[in-house]
Amino acid sequence: MYTFKYLKAFILKSLPIIFLYYLSFSSFESIKEFQNFTVFAFNLHMILIYFYLLKYPDYLGIGHIFLAGLINDVVIGTPLGASSLSFLTMCFFTTYVRNVTLRPKMTAEWFTFIPAIFFSNLIFFLIINNFSNLSYYYIEILSNSFFTFLFFPIFYFFFKSYQSRFKED
Amino acid sequence: MSDSRDDFIIAIRFALLKKGVKQKFSLSFLILFSISIIFFDKFSIPPVSFVKNIISDIVYRAAVIAVVPGKAIMYVGSQTKEHLTIYSENIALKKEISLLKRDQLDASFLKTENENLKLVLGLEKDQITERDTVTIARVMIDQISPYLKSLLINKGTKHKIIKGMTVFSKNYLIGTVIETNYLSSRVLIITDLNSKIPSIIEGTDVNVILAGNGNKNDFTLDYLPEGFVLEPNKIIYTSGKDGFLKAGMPVAETYLNKKNELKIKSLADPQQASIVHIVRGQLKN
Repeated sequence: MYTFKYLKAFILKSLPIIFLYYLSFSSFESIKEFQNFTVFAFNLHMILIYFYLLKYPDYLGIGHIFLAGLINDVVIGTPLGASSLSFLTMCFFTTYVRNVTLRPKMTAEWFTFIPAIFFSNLIFFLIINNFSNLSYYYIEILSNSFFTFLFFPIFYFFFKSYQSRFKED
Repeated sequence: MSDSRDDFIIAIRFALLKKGVKQKFSLSFLILFSISIIFFDKFSIPPVSFVKNIISDIVYRAAVIAVVPGKAIMYVGSQTKEHLTIYSENIALKKEISLLKRDQLDASFLKTENENLKLVLGLEKDQITERDTVTIARVMIDQISPYLKSLLINKGTKHKIIKGMTVFSKNYLIGTVIETNYLSSRVLIITDLNSKIPSIIEGTDVNVILAGNGNKNDFTLDYLPEGFVLEPNKIIYTSGKDGFLKAGMPVAETYLNKKNELKIKSLADPQQASIVHIVRGQLKN
């Protein structure tokens, strides 16, 4: 009984990591089976990494983020290490924001997400442009970044309410 | 001024070098490690390529399992929708069958006539060679990221799949193999922005390049002659000008969309392909 309880607690605590790996393996972007919804494609990895590193850094290690990035690269076919570096840029920016923030507010965190997305995507574009021959539409990436920013508050409250169960920690 | 600069540098150093309680690596170490991986990958050093192939095979297999829940939900949704539309579809299909039966008779007559004419002209029948041997593969994952529209298939170098092989689904061209691992391969589908197919338009002698645009209902034709007016309901065939694909394979079709704009759509639906045929050069009819 004790083992089961311990295992349950371990899984619940590790859920952000499991979710991050799941996103990388399934290369989640949007409800892509529906053609009309592809316009709402967004990057849930970025939201997850930004939120957890900002609010609960002990729940999501950067080693896992690095590994999830490598898996994401293999699955989507981009140069190996591109997503990892992009995610780590997001980690760096998030850690910096966490260090310099005195009174955290959701709106302030939401707006600091803009430069975080900008820099991590910039790194990604630089790698794609210099280390591969892939072509893509900038407008598609811009729309993806915009919806990633737009959907942040929804996931913020969702993740926050999930984390509230660990308040005793 | 100096204090604020110091604070900035301290915060950056803290972000790069400080390890969390449970962290094994610092951010700066992982960033350097990522950069070195990117360089190793770029220059395809043999041992690194070998390791990458093994990792790819393992990750692809794991990815197949990871997409199962999502696919199951989509399957239930599509089956429900299909069930609701099956009656009207049945009526339309009956009409189509009668038309097709008529066309089939015409086609068999034309085929016989063609063979007889070939005999008269002394042309030999096409021989099926090893070059045309078809390999059948299952699609593990269909990947439609903004960067690459591709499919992952469960056949690799073990099954003699090599880069550049052409991939068909239901006799329609859907893409080419761009990456091979031991047990799996990646297929660049024709809808991808990087896909360019030398083509010819039905009823004309106009040679064009059919370029993917990221969407199966929105292809573009490059090098279309100035002043040429494209008509709807015209099939676009491969021209064989690249010396690789056989000429005359139907790839796309022109159509008028709801806004009455002329668009080009793929005849195959690469995202719906579950079983594909891979050939070294071209598919035999």
